[in-house]
Amino acid sequence: MKASRSFSEWTPWLFLAPYLLIFGTFVAWPLTRSLVLAFEQTYGPKTTAFVGLLNFQFVLHDPLFWTAVRNTVLFTLAAAVTQIPAALGLALLLNRPDIRGRRLFRLIFFTPSIVGLAFVAIIFTLLLEKRTGFVNSSLHSLFPVWDPDFPWLESYVMPSLIAAALWLSAGFYMVYFLAALQNVPAELIDAAHIDGAGPWQRFRHVTLPEIRPVLNIITLLVVTGSLQLFELPYLFYNDTAGNGPENHALTIVTYLYQTGFRTGDLGYASAIGWVLTLVLVGFALLQRRMTQRGES
Amino acid sequence: MSSARFASSRALSPGIWIILLLAVVSTTGVLLMPAPERGGAVLWTFIDYNGKNYASILAAWNRAHPDTRLQAKVIEYAALQRRMLTGFFSGTPTADLLEVERSIANRAFIGPLDRVGFVDLTDYLRADGLTDEIAPAVYTPWSSRGRIFGIPIGFHPVLLAYRADLVEAAGIDVSQIETWDDFFRLLRPLMFDRNGDGQPDRYLLSGWNNNPNTIDILLLQADAQLFDPAGRPTLDTPRNAEILARLVSWFAGPNRIAADASDFTFAGNRQRLEGYVVATFMPDWLAGSWRKDLTPLAGKVKLMPLPAWERGGRRTSAWGGTMIGIAKSAPRPAEKWELVKMLYFSRELAETNFNEFLIVSPLRRHHHLPMYDRPDPYFCGQPVGRLYLDQENNVPTRPSSPYTQEALRLALDVLGTLKQHAEATGRYDAASLEPLAHQLLAEAQRSLLRQIARNPFLLAAP
Repeated sequence: MKASRSFSEWTPWLFLAPYLLIFGTFVAWPLTRSLVLAFEQTYGPKTTAFVGLLNFQFVLHDPLFWTAVRNTVLFTLAAAVTQIPAALGLALLLNRPDIRGRRLFRLIFFTPSIVGLAFVAIIFTLLLEKRTGFVNSSLHSLFPVWDPDFPWLESYVMPSLIAAALWLSAGFYMVYFLAALQNVPAELIDAAHIDGAGPWQRFRHVTLPEIRPVLNIITLLVVTGSLQLFELPYLFYNDTAGNGPENHALTIVTYLYQTGFRTGDLGYASAIGWVLTLVLVGFALLQRRMTQRGES
Repeated sequence: MSSARFASSRALSPGIWIILLLAVVSTTGVLLMPAPERGGAVLWTFIDYNGKNYASILAAWNRAHPDTRLQAKVIEYAALQRRMLTGFFSGTPTADLLEVERSIANRAFIGPLDRVGFVDLTDYLRADGLTDEIAPAVYTPWSSRGRIFGIPIGFHPVLLAYRADLVEAAGIDVSQIETWDDFFRLLRPLMFDRNGDGQPDRYLLSGWNNNPNTIDILLLQADAQLFDPAGRPTLDTPRNAEILARLVSWFAGPNRIAADASDFTFAGNRQRLEGYVVATFMPDWLAGSWRKDLTPLAGKVKLMPLPAWERGGRRTSAWGGTMIGIAKSAPRPAEKWELVKMLYFSRELAETNFNEFLIVSPLRRHHHLPMYDRPDPYFCGQPVGRLYLDQENNVPTRPSSPYTQEALRLALDVLGTLKQHAEATGRYDAASLEPLAHQLLAEAQRSLLRQIARNPFLLAAP
């Protein structure tokens, strides 16, 4: 009896143990270690010197960091403004029962998110390449005065990244919106229709409030995902380690990666990482407050 | 509820027991699996054909030293960089010998000298009287603060490969070319608009203002150094400003002569085959790559020294490079040094590297080999090896600072801004761009110094 009780007391811990072990090893310990590193000057983790708040002071006065912040914020705003309306628009369109082949279209729009970031980056760089790229060669065929060597990837750094991200993500978020739209009670729409509400009024006063929780989640996903942008610029501008011409493609995470893993300055990289974490947490809290206010 | 029933309801279900059993069995299975045999020392290389290249040399070593067998492992370029730096930064084991590319190697030099992950080979080279086997400038990319950490596989002088079929058909005599100005003036007739769309259908040179290799080659050739011999950045010099200002008209404006035919891409190779670009910067290893991959150009290409920036100026540059180094974590470094000598100083490797890849040996003891004077049909019967070896003493000194890539990126940014400025104002002449170049380089210099100043380990060194 005593043994059974003792066993039952330990059983929850037994089940929790794998999670705690993994969480402790791969989340809690690295987080703690990176917090300590943020206060150290390093050459790898073995050669360190405590420097207090020096890394954070350097972050605040580092022009490259602020360039990265400016680019990241610009990308985030553009992503929110393009991806969310595009995804919602596609979902509204493909939710209409009168659209023929809508399942096929859903699959087509969702496909870019299946193929992955690396593939999308390669496709876009090939499309926008000088002379042999599809965009330049098509424009040159249509308008012979068009310069086939027009450097899209040099002249339009941020628009190229925004376009690639839109193509990649719109179909993915469309699926979330589709699921939400299919849960909007049909009787509410019908009632609004009978009351004489037009399509815009039905969308504004019936559909939008019903899908608001999903809209909030997607906004959070788009913003946090964009603030962590790394792969696209890194692959687009591999020659310059993701910086792009005149640092126009440099993002916070790219800068963090370069600092930590290309120059071994793990202390400074950790400081950048913690600044980014604070920004992300701040945004999440802000969004939560706005959501609560909207609901109340 | 009785106590017996309570106990049984809390006991593990059969499903859980099955999962636990599977976990125990699979864990035991993994533990009992034979570990891959680690035959003594390991060499990491990112060059896939080196595994095959080294086979016979390694077999001879392994026969003679059964206790310290060496095996070569090919690891992808980026993965090798990550594993090497992680090992060096954290003190975890890497391979005993590492074959790494220039831009990777200098990242290992960022910390205190005594913490560089490679064994210092300076004294080994001196003790064996091998220091003079290689020209001093060739060691510079593999050295830090006066110490040598790697042996190079080549010195990779750069010549200019040009479409001899096009140039000779136009009756142009390249022997009259000494400077870049001569080159552009004499070859200009080859640039014309064949299809009447208002755009030239051929350019004289392959390269672009945002291509780090193009700009690195040209800056090195012009002695426009980004670092001084002590490793301090020297971006803001009159020579750098002059060269960057002069380069603008190569890539923009009415007198543009260059086009972006990227190396190692389908599009770039197609442009070369179609004659879209007349000339390409050609280090020895790229000549070998062309001979293998661009076979339709056989008998249509010739090599010539780079046109100089000024009369009497340097006629070559350097591009790329690979070294072999010994990891500090490797046991018995003296023994590994013997292995390095057997691999990199062997005549067999010099012959394989040239015959297969046109890479000329940096070791003076091999420079008399008759293979270097053999006419190569791909390059219209030119003695390719000798053409490259003739440049041995002219190869520029290259920096080994861990901030080299950053400095080059800043120089590219300056050039990009100058180009934009020229396009906006319509003034492409170097004289009008030089003051702005100075100003931008001064800003770049400050930015780089700010970064380097954060590294007390590098600056604290003597």
